[in-house]
Amino acid sequence: MANINYEGKTYEMDGDGFMLKPEEWTEGLAAEIAKEDGINELTENHWKILHCIRENYEEKGIAPMVRVICKASGLKLKEIYELFPLGPARGACRVAGLPKPEGCV
Amino acid sequence: MTPESTPNVQKAIDILTKHTDSKLLTHLNACVHCGLCETSCLFYKTFQESKYIPGKKVDTVSSIYRRYCTLLGRTAPKLTHARELDDETITEMVDSLFGACTMCGRCVKHCSIGVDIPFVVRTGRRMLAAMGKVPQTLQATVDAAIQTGNNMGIPTEDFVDTIEWMQEDLQDELGENATIPLNEEGKEILYTLNPREPKFFPLSIAAAAKIFYAAGASWTLSTEMYDVTNYGYFSGNDEEATAIAKKMFDEVHKLKCNTLVLGECGHGSRALRWEAPNYLKTHPDFKMVTLIEQLEEYIKTGRIKVDKTLNTKKYTIHDPCNIVRNGGLYNSLRYVTRQVVSDFVEMAPYGSDNFCCGGGGGMLAMSEYNERRLKVGKIKADQIAATGAQVVITPCHNCVDQLMQINHEYKLNVEIKSLAEVVADALVL
Repeated sequence: MANINYEGKTYEMDGDGFMLKPEEWTEGLAAEIAKEDGINELTENHWKILHCIRENYEEKGIAPMVRVICKASGLKLKEIYELFPLGPARGACRVAGLPKPEGCV
Repeated sequence: MTPESTPNVQKAIDILTKHTDSKLLTHLNACVHCGLCETSCLFYKTFQESKYIPGKKVDTVSSIYRRYCTLLGRTAPKLTHARELDDETITEMVDSLFGACTMCGRCVKHCSIGVDIPFVVRTGRRMLAAMGKVPQTLQATVDAAIQTGNNMGIPTEDFVDTIEWMQEDLQDELGENATIPLNEEGKEILYTLNPREPKFFPLSIAAAAKIFYAAGASWTLSTEMYDVTNYGYFSGNDEEATAIAKKMFDEVHKLKCNTLVLGECGHGSRALRWEAPNYLKTHPDFKMVTLIEQLEEYIKTGRIKVDKTLNTKKYTIHDPCNIVRNGGLYNSLRYVTRQVVSDFVEMAPYGSDNFCCGGGGGMLAMSEYNERRLKVGKIKADQIAATGAQVVITPCHNCVDQLMQINHEYKLNVEIKSLAEVVADALVL
């Protein structure tokens, strides 16, 4: 996927559209990435998920289990899959500016 | 560059010369250039460039064989189109053997003489692995499996937490006897998972647990070795593929289980069932079946009761290449599916002629080929759209991920489900 130009700055993405420099992530950029996935507005529930993923990543350096996302956001699994149709990895973690998780995602 | 001056290149040539049987030589030298493989391949069909023709991929490897292992190739390379294993060739090999082949094997079925093209492609990958040329993105997945015991690097306490969560949900529905046992010795079945299940999509674990509960099965998961995948099969590093497979065999022995049930993963099933005995040079002293065959047995023997009218939507199957074409489980998959859904439609083509989803061969791990992978996935998207189905069943979590992406990319508006989920929804308890 192409790099993203946002507010005069170019953000580098890997082939799957995950950020190569996660430390450059901003909330404004998240909204921009989400638009690529057809999510035109990030709601309060989207943000609960994104903040949890971001905090977990900054603390532990990896994407959280979906279990942790459910606990922290108070949302049900089904709601998470509906809010991010590409799933917690390709959907939510990408919008949260994480590098691509390893494995079959 | 000559093999003498670059030890790594010599290691690659050694793979072509030090083989234990005649299979490699036969398949390297058998292509008659008839061209029938062309239109069997996702990549050629999508891009219409000659470098994507399966026979061309075979020729890349055999031209190196001719250059270093035949008299004519050594003395007059141009006469036999023999190629130097130089940087240009290596770059081309990485692009075509890793980046433009899912090792799906559809070309083999269309080959006029049955050349095992993915076997030759994997030989090329082994050569690249010997030279340290495996794409870093794919290697990272192998490294995670070797270092942490699962390809996503999930810490054990996180895994246990997720399993306990699924168990709580199960017990809310079915009562306290419905459990997900961990590390229990002496059970009949050791069940395995794709790590993306506990990490991001755990409902398929609960579905399998519900089925085992309904069947009254004696089973357990291991917290140390539950990962059914083996990306060493895709990377071409046989030492690493062997180490991963050995860990699973050792776990079956440690927990004293009789049957290893392979979770819904195409390449993982293949790597453990059909490749591991070659890696480990031993026959397993336990039974090994896929979840599909286990479900077939449960339904046929009446250990679980299912009602197909409970699944009311229109379903189709995406046949994972390593389960159906290369795994021989067409009948089992159709039997189970037809017992649990009432409105079913096949794709065209289907079964052993089915097209790969585009995510096989380690493609999902290799971000650099994302754009190519989504483009070749259009063939599958068109197949799905033509069925008019609302739900696509596929017994492979790798396929699930690719199908989820093409579902979104090509706006198919379908649901993607694993077989366990559809069977669990049809259970009569």
